[in-house]
Amino acid sequence: MATQKGGYTPSLEKFLDSLKSRPVQASVELLISLLKRRQIKGSEACATATAHILLQVVARDKWTNVDQLLGRIQLVGRKLVTAQPHELATGNIVRRVLGLIRDEASEERNDATTDSPRPASPSPSPSASASVPAPSHASSPPKPARPPTLASIGSFARTQSMFNLLSDPNLFPPTGSNASTPGQVSGASTPILNPQATNVSALRSEVIDGIQEIMDEIKMVDEQVQTYADIFIHPGDYILVYQPSRTVQKFLTRAALKRKFTVFLAIDPSSATSSEALYASLLKSMASNGSSVITVLNAGLMAYMSRVDKVILGARAITAQGGVIVDSGGAAIARAARERRRTVIVLGGVYKLSPESKLLSESRVEWGDPSKYVSFADGSLVSHVRVKNAVSEFLPADQVDTYITNLGAHAQENLHTIIADHYKEEDINFDLYGKAQRISGGEIE
Amino acid sequence: MSTATSDPPAEAKPQTSEKPENTPANIAAPPNGDSQTKGENGAPAPAAAPKLTNAQLKAKAKADKQARRAQAKVSKDPAPGGAPAPVSAGQSGHPATESKGNKAKGKPDGAPPAGSGATGRATGARGSVSIIPPKPESSIPECFSHLSMAKRLPITQADKDVHPTVLTLGQQMATFAIDESITRLKATLLAFKKVIDSYTTPPGNTLARHLTPHVLNPQIEYLSACRPMCFSMGNAIRWLKLQVSKIDPDVPDVDAKKQLCASIDAFIQERINFADVVITQKAADCIQNDDVILVYGRNTLVQRTLLHAHLVDGKKFDVIIIDDPYERQGQVLAKTLTAEGVKVSYSGDFGALQYQVKLADRIILGAEGMFSNGALYGRCGTSDLALAAKDFGKQVYALCETINITERVSTDSLTYNEIDPERCSGSSFRLLYDTTPSHCLSTVVTEISSAQPTSVSYLLRKLEDSN
Repeated sequence: MATQKGGYTPSLEKFLDSLKSRPVQASVELLISLLKRRQIKGSEACATATAHILLQVVARDKWTNVDQLLGRIQLVGRKLVTAQPHELATGNIVRRVLGLIRDEASEERNDATTDSPRPASPSPSPSASASVPAPSHASSPPKPARPPTLASIGSFARTQSMFNLLSDPNLFPPTGSNASTPGQVSGASTPILNPQATNVSALRSEVIDGIQEIMDEIKMVDEQVQTYADIFIHPGDYILVYQPSRTVQKFLTRAALKRKFTVFLAIDPSSATSSEALYASLLKSMASNGSSVITVLNAGLMAYMSRVDKVILGARAITAQGGVIVDSGGAAIARAARERRRTVIVLGGVYKLSPESKLLSESRVEWGDPSKYVSFADGSLVSHVRVKNAVSEFLPADQVDTYITNLGAHAQENLHTIIADHYKEEDINFDLYGKAQRISGGEIE
Repeated sequence: MSTATSDPPAEAKPQTSEKPENTPANIAAPPNGDSQTKGENGAPAPAAAPKLTNAQLKAKAKADKQARRAQAKVSKDPAPGGAPAPVSAGQSGHPATESKGNKAKGKPDGAPPAGSGATGRATGARGSVSIIPPKPESSIPECFSHLSMAKRLPITQADKDVHPTVLTLGQQMATFAIDESITRLKATLLAFKKVIDSYTTPPGNTLARHLTPHVLNPQIEYLSACRPMCFSMGNAIRWLKLQVSKIDPDVPDVDAKKQLCASIDAFIQERINFADVVITQKAADCIQNDDVILVYGRNTLVQRTLLHAHLVDGKKFDVIIIDDPYERQGQVLAKTLTAEGVKVSYSGDFGALQYQVKLADRIILGAEGMFSNGALYGRCGTSDLALAAKDFGKQVYALCETINITERVSTDSLTYNEIDPERCSGSSFRLLYDTTPSHCLSTVVTEISSAQPTSVSYLLRKLEDSN
């Protein structure tokens, strides 16, 4: 199923290129195996891949009503999440898309229910009329596919529009044009009432637009995050970064345009020889602006903390409680920073902010390739010693001072509101994991 | 007078490293330097400063020289052990400077003022010349420029008085072939034994007055130029110089040398060998059956402790080794332990540190030194481990021979440290040590006691009393 051409290592780009030429189901299977083999890894890559595959599902799968589509997305999403449960971004995107579909569907439904008595009159709901440009489904008569669980259609619809009238349509910045309201959260939790009423093709194009907006948001994160750079980095600062992601690198680069400061760059020890190449652009742009970068070849960074002013870490995922999943080793640095009362700043797009609350604890460690430091040729080690190599780990909320996302800087207490803005309640609670999660793995016994 | 010079031996280096700085200053600004030295000791040439506007430079230089010597003595005597021996020695860094400085100092001791003006000037010139060379060290970031670094200096650059054994030892230290504090100390003492063995007092001198400045000091300076001395070496050399100074001038050379060698042997036996045995036993007693012990990297004392607990005491326990990814010495320990049947789990870096620490029952750390405020000077990364252990309420044991305890105080890791010479090129940088604050340690195990880290200063005083 994983058809790799000519021995090329599969990557995110190749996967995206091949999407169009492959049946949707095959693409899903391919992505699952790529995730399992960690050939697509990192939250941004996973989020992008997920958004693309869901876009394909929405665009090319056969579905005739919203329930079907939701079910389909949930199924694919659950598979993807199970394939790589450590990548919370996958689940986040699935939830975002689910929420998006519910929004679109409920708008359509509102239109449908309000339209049915008087098809010619405009919708009483301002938000629905504003965001749905073509509510042309008067032709299909409303007939409930399932018995309504709430009282009656009419009264329910009225509640909906009251909510819409009273609520602020701008509460959902990332979903942009399809302004939705928190009031619809409760409404959407009930089964979709008039699936036949919705115009499938209109809904399809709306959802596709919405997913594309999510993709754009993912792409824009770095640029939006870096606008806060010179607020947080002051002249003469000593900044410690650990295996900086592209987001962190751009953040530093932007700050270097206006400020002169020193960066302690702690790198991945196994890539010590290639670090120059890895961070070449960062080193170059920092140097050209008069800031200096010192590559620190130490694993324990407590020694530097008396000199460091701020620690900047890139997040793999951020939880609602404020815990952060970081590259392994990041937690030790944050602990050292807290011991010395240094500021710890976490950078990451809103799409990394995960509503997932369970399975996140301090023991949440992703174990990986044990051959990083121990060669498989070293028989006495391989056969007798339990070699462990962590890939990512959990950083408790109390060791983080500030979170900077594309929406700005947030305190830990704010994260709940951002999550509430971005995810629907029923999707938050929806168990994407399906089954109990495997924590360990990747050890040589 | 020269006994006074040799009394606080570790201070020989700070003094000599000051010297090249003093000398140019004196020459550049004669009135200043002169009046200062005058003020401090009220020595010769009382009216030299005002008068000295014309060409009586030679006489002035001579006066300077004497004044400086006296001053050095004055500044040295009241502060036994005040100055940081290894660090400052390394800072001034330049072997040529140091050995030259020392020779210049040594010469007048033996044959005082004859042509000492010229010598003084020469020293000054050389001192100022060698102050310029640190430029190649500009690869060290400015904020760490106060730290010292080992350097491989060609044997040809060494002072001609350096004994071949010491030459070899210096190279071994510079290349980190001999690395651990206690191993370096032992090797140094053994080498000094050879130096003393091959020494004969020149006619007209006494061993007590001649050995330290003319023979031992060049060796010490060479060693500390190769690599900054560790605290234990500073302590032991101070002790050795004291022993030399105590030798009765009437004792014949052969007996004196025998006596010195015997006391060095006793010192090694008592402070290193027996200390290690006692610490190993004490620490092994702390390990209980079914414990999980977390260790960092490889430390001889820790390794011996684990082996002792396993082989001698027959305890069953697991070991988690956290390693420094740039050193990977923990792999050696892992192999040693598994060969003896200990269950070992190995992590190459600090990933998932909190998870590992939670699994552990106690943490055993080896110390390169202890500060009198109870802080531990150890391999870089030790403090991260100790910190995590403290956060999870685990017992942290630090193993340390008392000879490694210094009377200095350090509150952060950048006060005393060393830069890795192998990884200090371009923009990359690596510190070798860090300082673990005392509140992260639960027990310091020394050969005298197992006690709270804060009791280290008390321990130190007890040791001084017994000496």
